[in-house]
Amino acid sequence: MLTRPTTEQLLVGIAADLRNLVLAEVSSEPVKVLLGQIDQILRGLAERASHEIAWMHEEADTISAVTGTEVGWPASLHLEDVITWYGEVSRVLSTAIDAAFADGDTVRVAELKRLLDTRSANEMKIVGTLDLVGRG
Amino acid sequence: MHNPADMPELLARFLAMQQPSWRNVKVSSYEVMTGGYSRLLAKAVVAHDDGEHILVLRGDPPVDKILIHTDRRQEWELIQVLNLHGIRTPSGRYFDETGEHLGTRALIIDFSASQSFLPYAQGGGSLEGLNERLADALASFHAIPIDALPEQIERPESWDAYLTNRIDEWRRTADAHVEDLPIMRYMAGWLDAHRPVPVPLTLMHGDFQGANLMLADDGHFEMLDWELASIGDPREDMGYFKAVAMIAPPDLLDDAGCEAFCARYRELSGFSELQVNPVVVAYFLILGVVGTVRRLLEGGADYARGTNMLMASVFTMNSVQFGQSIWLPTSEALGPILDSIAAAAAAAALAEGKSC
Repeated sequence: MLTRPTTEQLLVGIAADLRNLVLAEVSSEPVKVLLGQIDQILRGLAERASHEIAWMHEEADTISAVTGTEVGWPASLHLEDVITWYGEVSRVLSTAIDAAFADGDTVRVAELKRLLDTRSANEMKIVGTLDLVGRG
Repeated sequence: MHNPADMPELLARFLAMQQPSWRNVKVSSYEVMTGGYSRLLAKAVVAHDDGEHILVLRGDPPVDKILIHTDRRQEWELIQVLNLHGIRTPSGRYFDETGEHLGTRALIIDFSASQSFLPYAQGGGSLEGLNERLADALASFHAIPIDALPEQIERPESWDAYLTNRIDEWRRTADAHVEDLPIMRYMAGWLDAHRPVPVPLTLMHGDFQGANLMLADDGHFEMLDWELASIGDPREDMGYFKAVAMIAPPDLLDDAGCEAFCARYRELSGFSELQVNPVVVAYFLILGVVGTVRRLLEGGADYARGTNMLMASVFTMNSVQFGQSIWLPTSEALGPILDSIAAAAAAAALAEGKSC
């Protein structure tokens, strides 16, 4: 299969064309807002397409190590299988968090929170600079 | 409202019915407005033999385009109460409850000639003193007696029951989503472990943010968009304002502004410093957004399930992720301070008990 230009390049390119060429031709305010939202979504998708499978695996490794739970592997590297597996890994983390709070174990809570910090940092790489286009 | 081209005629006919004394009612302009994600908004200029009015219509979108479900009847009745109590919000004028006249359930309010706050601030307008005016605005409607509010607004049994339910909403939201959300479960555990000092429950705006504020010529705020109003902890409105302001500045409750805001609010409400202070506002920065977070995640989940195809549902999930990036470090910084406030409140309660 042809892999270049990459999915990331294409999505960033589509976003740029919408922003620089299409938007200028649009007069409807609601459609301008929609284009602004699509622009941000496309840029986030470019980041996801590049990294999400790797990020989910990296997170799963750490969750497994910190919770002491064997989390296994996805059925394949097709995205749907990875997402299904990642959901199960996330449940392991959620259960550990609930247990730590129920036990009042503040050290354990802090340890688990560090995993969430990593997850959130990856999410923010996808979101980029948040602009609530159309509000106000 | 679903077909803007039909609206001048439909609106003119509806207003002529509502105001039989108006002769030759004509809608000279009907303009779809942006600014709200959840309801259809439009501005209409209406002329008749004796004058001209500028009105705003707020109506339900088509069923397949509804981002969040709220009740126009409740919003309409609440606006009547707010108007009666002199709260600074545009007056409610007309209500098409069935949608038979305007094509959808819609209410009509006065157009506000005040400036939208966000464009004012983005244009370099002075923010001096506006943190205290924000306290004035909040204290004004928080003071409305609960008995005066529309009956259909749910009355929580007690502050404790309310807070427990609100914290559980984080867990319920996580449970209902299309994938596991460990950050939501962490926030629920953290909120539960650091409960603030109680205050009496009041009317809450529910979407108290810069985008729903107008700045009048006398420097006071007018408030818009009451569709998410409920009865709850008034500090949720403060925390919610701050949460949104961190995404869409200016943040009038930043380090410099929050102390004076709290002092002014305490002066107006009679609450103590243990009840209203910048740290407690930051606690509610997290707790106060749960309703919105739930609705946004529901929209995203519906998109994932294929039951709605609204790009706005996907877009607004970015706000949830941004929120998470704020809640996590905030919880870490606030935990120890909230624990000391709780200890001080417990000591004060003990001392009061002994003196009695």
